Formats: sequence, structure tokens, C-alpha cells
Amino acid sequence: MQAIIFSWEYPPRTVGHLADYVRELATQLVKNKVKIHVVTYHDFLTGEYEELEGVKTYRVTNPVRTHIGVLTWVLTLNQEVERAASNIYYKSNAQVNLIDAHDWHFISAAVTLKKAFGLPFLYSVESLEEHRSHGANSPFNMAIKSIEWLGMYEAEKLIVKSEWMRDEVYRLYKVPLEKVKVIPPKSVNWIKNILETYQNVAGGKAF
Amino acid sequence: MARELTVMMLTWEFPPRIIGGISPHVYHLSKSLARNCVKVYVVTCDFPGAAQHEVVDGVEVFRIDSYKNPSPDFATWVYLMNINMQKEAAALAHCINGGVDVFHAHDWLVANAGIGLKHVFRKPLLATMHSTEIGRRNGIHFDYERMIHETEAWLTYEAWRVVCCSNYMVSHVRWAFGLPEDKLIMIPNGVDIEAYAKNSNDDLSDFRRRFALPEEKIVLFVGRLVYEKGAHVLVNAIPKVLEKVNAKFIIVGNGYMKEQLSNIVKNMGFAHKVMFTGFVDDETLKKLQRCADVSVVPSLFEPFGIVALEAIAAKSPIVVSDTGGLSEIVEHDVTGVKVYPENPDSLAWGITKVLLDEAYADKIKTNAYSKIQEKYDWNKIAQQTKAVYENILKEYSKSFWA
Repeated sequence: MQAIIFSWEYPPRTVGHLADYVRELATQLVKNKVKIHVVTYHDFLTGEYEELEGVKTYRVTNPVRTHIGVLTWVLTLNQEVERAASNIYYKSNAQVNLIDAHDWHFISAAVTLKKAFGLPFLYSVESLEEHRSHGANSPFNMAIKSIEWLGMYEAEKLIVKSEWMRDEVYRLYKVPLEKVKVIPPKSVNWIKNILETYQNVAGGKAF
Repeated sequence: MARELTVMMLTWEFPPRIIGGISPHVYHLSKSLARNCVKVYVVTCDFPGAAQHEVVDGVEVFRIDSYKNPSPDFATWVYLMNINMQKEAAALAHCINGGVDVFHAHDWLVANAGIGLKHVFRKPLLATMHSTEIGRRNGIHFDYERMIHETEAWLTYEAWRVVCCSNYMVSHVRWAFGLPEDKLIMIPNGVDIEAYAKNSNDDLSDFRRRFALPEEKIVLFVGRLVYEKGAHVLVNAIPKVLEKVNAKFIIVGNGYMKEQLSNIVKNMGFAHKVMFTGFVDDETLKKLQRCADVSVVPSLFEPFGIVALEAIAAKSPIVVSDTGGLSEIVEHDVTGVKVYPENPDSLAWGITKVLLDEAYADKIKTNAYSKIQEKYDWNKIAQQTKAVYENILKEYSKSFWA
């Protein structure tokens, strides 16, 4: 099995919890014989490409340097993520089985690749705009929520990290419960459950 | 027989959605390409009452959900809309079995979608730059403008070739984004002469009475009421024109300057001499252009100047500011009158010259009409564009993507 992981943070660039979680995930998946490509943001700390403990990491940078906020920054970065992911896809002779997108940032890229290649994707929810912005509903928050909605609608499966988050995802976005897998980090069967979900998604068709 | 050349056009406007010049441009280009055996798919924003999918004059048109939540600002809306455009275009390209040969993006408004599709499908991207942020704003002053400017730069960087519609725009775009000379191609914009020739013998005197008294000459301005289109220059020329000629000024279009302009007119005491019509439908516009005794294009920045061609096709004499693409369309004293940009006195001089000398007006409009027939014909433009696609594909066939 071969998977591409999208995450906007990855060590050494650590913004919150997500970076270390995604590295641990990628490393464990490699140990379980899944070929892993991580596509993330390049902040000039590292080169464009590195391989660490079998995890191949590709870092892209934003072609538009000036931005008015995190939203426009993310939206123009998506095309570079698509470029990197497409290169991986073509280089593997279309042997990539799924994309695992962490949080909302690169949902647009995941959806486009799904439509173009019939490549299914998983949406791994770390946090939601509703909680990050304490219920604010400005056009800015609405835009991010609409991207979260798109991700949940188009994803084959969602992985959330707690039962509370499963209920929130259901409450806010009305995602059918059978589409949502609760897999708490550091739980006993964590990687086993992740692997099972990956296999599940990879076997399913995107359309 | 070889499969026909297939192009996917990306544009944020396509009739009936008409905001600026891109909409009619893409419509006529696509239709004329279809007549020249190019299979064209247009992916564009939706519009109330317009079908999600339809075939228009041999062109497959797909309209996408253009993101209708409130947006923080225009540029952010553009990027959000591009998520949907790219997603739908990818699904469509997948359905036709990756059978798109070239993606053709019109302006930065579809930059994200065009660039993404290029890499995902590994097909060449052609960009037409209809305008630039640095030109529209007369410089880059804020981060917001710089972000758009850099998005335009990104699109021209990713494009295999960049098309501009005038020599002026070629050098402007080259300067603005530092592009190599051989990346730029000039293909003029066109005008649909047939559409203007239709019903051209109708009696318009009743129609004309709705806008002006029979003894008043009609001076027509058509354009968005924004700074770069220079409607304020025309408004400031009104007193000087009225000293010599009895005229009615008809200003067609909307924009953020409308209220300011109509206040200036009121304060001058000429409210009865000026009519702001707002946006008018295509048929009314064509009739107005046919009724005009002179059409005025006083732009400060004008990449091409399609409205000048339309006036010529409607057989109206034209007065234009000597700038940008307008300088190339008009030959002074031969096909029109050129005046100094941003100079109301010069503009008033040009308007009066045309209105007071009927023989002169007849001469320039006849000359101009025969010129547009040879140079700005959509069929010819489609053939030039098709040749660009073919050249790109020839180069592409030698690349490792092919």
C-alpha cells in the first residue's frame, strides 16, 4: 500500500500538536510496510525533499509571497501541494492508493486529485474552525467552515481523535456516523486501527 | 482521422454572466474555434437562470457553483471560487478521459484552477492576460494589490505561452512580470461585425427620442464607471463641448464612481444634458451605439479597448485617448481622433471636431469600418489561436510529460 499524507505542519516546523502526531503516524505506517509520502510546507529550514526513517517528505513553498491572511496563503499553496502530489502519483505509475489529509488546509488539493485520478481520501480531523474561533461566523470563518464541509462531504472516511469530536462533527456537519472512525492517539490498537481504515479506504472506490 | 484538438477554457465570466470584456471575448473566441474544428469546453461561474451544462454555438459550457457565502474581500472570493472551478474541471477532464490537450486560462481570476489542472493532468497551460493589477491601480500600493500582482506573475510563470491582445499589453506584461520575449504572443481582440450589421437599416428615430432631443447630438460613453476608464475626464469636458455644440451625453455602465460623477454633473448645472443609464442589455447598447454621433473612449489605462471596436462596427465615429491598445486601433485623422489622456480640453476638442464636421466624421468612420473587417475578425483570430495551440503541442510532445 502507498499513501500520501497532507499536513500543513511537520517537524522541524512545529506549530501545534499536529506536526509530531503526523510524524509518529508516518513512521509507524512505514514500519507496517506502507509506503508513505508526506507533502507539507517548506519554511526554508530544510530542503525540498528528505527521507527520514523511511518516510519520504516533500516540502512546497508558496509561489505567492504576499498575503492578506492565512486563508489566501493556504488557498494559493494548494496548487503546489497538487503539483507535488501529482509528481508522486505519476512517478509511482499511479500506484498511490489513498490520500490522508490532516485538517482543512489541503482539502482543496485532496478533492481535486480525487476527481482527477479517482483517488480516494481520508480526512483526519485534528480540530474544527467552530472551536478554534469560538463560534465566530465572519466571512473568514465561514470560508474555512465551507472547506471543512467540502472535505467531510468528499472524503471516503473521517478519522477523529475522540468520541467528543465524532459528536461535534455530526452536530456541526451532519456527517453520517458510520463514515466517522474514532481512533484516539496513543490508544492500544492505534496503528492497527489506522491501518484498517487505510485498507478500507484504499479498497473503496472514490466515485 | 485524428482526434480533434480539445481545449478547456477557464473563465470567471461567460454570457449571460457579463462583468467586463472577458465574457464576450471568451464567447466569440470559443465559438470561432469550434467553427475551426477545435473541441472547446468552457468552465465558468454560474449565473441565475443559466443552465449548469449547455451547448452554445458548438461550445460545451459548464457552469460551477461560484461560492456564494459572504467573502472577506474580492480576492479571497476568487481563490475560494477557484476551489470549485478546479474540482469541477478536474471531474470533467476525468470524464472525457483526460482528453484535454490544452488548458486555457483567462486572467488571474482562474490562475489557481489553471495551474492546478496543468500539474494534475500534465497538459500545457496557455494564459491570456486581459489586464494587470499594476496597470489597473497605476502601481502596487498595498499588500492586497501585491498579492494579486504576484498571482498574475505566478500564472504567467506557469503558462507555456502568454497571449496579450495588443502590442502595448505585450510590452506592459513583459515589463510587469519580467517574462522572456519569446513567451509572449500578440493576438488582437475581435469584434462581431455581423451582430452589428443585423437590423442596421431599422429606423431608430423613436428609440433615439428616448435618450435625446432631435436637435441634440449624442455623445456616447460605454464602460465601467471606475477610475481607469476615465468617465470623469468626459464629465469635465462637458462645459467646453456645450459651448460649441448642442449635445446630450449618454453614459452607459455602472461602477463605484457613478454617484460622484452624477454629483459633478449636477453641480455644473448640466443634469439635463447628461444621462446615466446604468447597465443596459445588449440590444439597447447596440442601438445606442448606432445612434451615437460620436463614441468616446477616454481611458487612462486600456489594455485593448474593445468598446472602440464595437463603436466602429456600429458605424459611429470615435474619439479615444492616445494610450494602451487604443493607440494601436486608431490612426489619428484616418480611422478616428486621438486626444491626450486625462485631458478634458483635448477631449472636448476631439468631440467638437467630429460633431461639427460631418464630412470628417463620415470619412473616419468609413475608414475604420473597413480596417476592422480585415484586422479584428473573429475567424482570423481563432485561426491564429489554434496555431498557438498547435505550436505549444508540438513543443510539448518533446517534453517528458508527453
